[in-house]
Amino acid sequence: MNRANATPARSLNFPVAPPSARLIQIRDLVYKVAGMFQPDSKLRLLESGCWKRMQVLGVTTLQDYHQCLIRMPACEAELVALLNEITVGETFFFRNQPQIDALRSVVLPRIVEAKSKTSNRHLRIWSAGCSTGEEAYTLSMVFREELAGQLQGWTFEVLATDLNQRSIVQAEQGLYGEYSTRHLSEHFRRKYFVSCGNNLQINADVKTFVKFSRLNFLDDASMALLADLDLIFCCNVLIYFHGAAKGRVVQHFYDNLLPHGYLFLGQSESLYGVNEDFHLVHMSSATAYVKSDALPVQL
Amino acid sequence: MSNQPREILGTRLERLDQMPTIPVILYPLLRYLEQPLDRLDLQEIVNLISQDESLASQCLHMANSPLFGLWQPVDSIRSAVALLGLQRMRDIATSCSLLKLLPAGAGEINPKVFWEHSLACALVARQFAHRIGFADAGKAYLGGLLHDLGIVAHLWIIPKQFQSAYALARTQGMPLHEAEMITLGATHSDTGKIVAERWRLTPDLVEVLSCHHNPSCASVRRDLVALISLSDLLCRMSGMGHGYVERRQVNFTEEPAFAILLEECPSLKTFDWARFTFELESHMEEVQRLVKVLYREPS
Repeated sequence: MNRANATPARSLNFPVAPPSARLIQIRDLVYKVAGMFQPDSKLRLLESGCWKRMQVLGVTTLQDYHQCLIRMPACEAELVALLNEITVGETFFFRNQPQIDALRSVVLPRIVEAKSKTSNRHLRIWSAGCSTGEEAYTLSMVFREELAGQLQGWTFEVLATDLNQRSIVQAEQGLYGEYSTRHLSEHFRRKYFVSCGNNLQINADVKTFVKFSRLNFLDDASMALLADLDLIFCCNVLIYFHGAAKGRVVQHFYDNLLPHGYLFLGQSESLYGVNEDFHLVHMSSATAYVKSDALPVQL
Repeated sequence: MSNQPREILGTRLERLDQMPTIPVILYPLLRYLEQPLDRLDLQEIVNLISQDESLASQCLHMANSPLFGLWQPVDSIRSAVALLGLQRMRDIATSCSLLKLLPAGAGEINPKVFWEHSLACALVARQFAHRIGFADAGKAYLGGLLHDLGIVAHLWIIPKQFQSAYALARTQGMPLHEAEMITLGATHSDTGKIVAERWRLTPDLVEVLSCHHNPSCASVRRDLVALISLSDLLCRMSGMGHGYVERRQVNFTEEPAFAILLEECPSLKTFDWARFTFELESHMEEVQRLVKVLYREPS
């Protein structure tokens, strides 16, 4: 038999044609400078972002646009404009479920075990670049749930900071629309929110654990104050810092974490080439960074 | 630990009577493709694959997947061989032959997860080999594909006992080989070694099957075993494991396999694990789609 009935169907997200060499060059540049990688399944998003920016600049080919990203006097600003196109501007609750699963099943037991050797039964979590508060409240709900489980007898606080004062005000209000709450399970929706017209209002029980404040990552004195942290979540913020500034921010994260602490970044974000003290660790479908002097804990 | 399961395993392995032998087509195909390229005849290969209609159909589905680098649809084995080349066609035919080895069902275990994992491991091993300058990417693919052959044997010869081991692994979130050791007193690596020797696989592949969870025991091709060991682990940490979540944390640079592979591939020292993990995301999606197509599941 020489012929067989095979439909050349492909994954919806997998490219149907080999990506152009220029697009791959732009992907590599974005990764090298911003630390965010666009896998093949998201190349269409990158390409569409490039085309939008090309229209604004009046550039007609990816080759010319690549030159804009490396040669223009304001090439850093252009990279930021491109990043704004390819990252979702608004955030939402439970944005990275594999990360939350890894936190609950792997990270928390390890932190609890490490801290159990001391008398400290308090956890400090930092939502760094919290935007309008969805991540901080997600963490508050998750830890609130764990108070009845592996965190019985423990206390916690979520420190949430952002550069944008308007975002902080909105986060403190705790009022969210359909987009932000679309991944909320019925359990969390009923237990931690109250209806407010077409929106959902986060309840006082969750709010009480979260403290919002404005912070500039480049303000070394303020950054140094956020010490003794168990966990840092910093999603899609470091991509806007380049070169030495990025290195400085990451060094603050490193210094602020306790020896057993964890740093979680956004999906497809990496610290490769930025910091050699942090060590990458894999958990099921999630990655995080730990300090090199992290205490080995046997599960 | 009771010795009984181990005794049962030993007795059944002596006969291996319930497990199908190496698929009829695979043996002559592999032997034929081992010859020097100038002695190979395309029509002969087409004939070998086409002997089995379902194998040919599955091969064609795989040949049409972008995972094998072909961006134009093919509708015959002849054009697939011509466009993909002999190496890729051997990879495809071997993968489809392995699929034929799996039993239809094993209680609560869906055997397709093991084929899915094996295919993912083969693809990861091949890509990993290219990235770090490992000499034999073709052997890496084959090793990745066959490394868990011992599990296939367990599904055939001790399905009930294996189900107990699998249930333990799933509920505890532990590696499958550790649960097998507790429940059966032996692991799929032990069984894989016996099957590989019985099938007269090459010594390097025998070692891959027997040592991929303990690469320091390898002596023939330590680098190949280490490469498969890391690829296997990466798949299990990227949502393409054995159908359940392993509750553990892995730092690849601290794995024994890393140190072994580093001796042969110095570029591994600066390997960007984060980027490689992100790159695999798209491939994993396509593997899952392909498995659905080959198992005729609704997408």
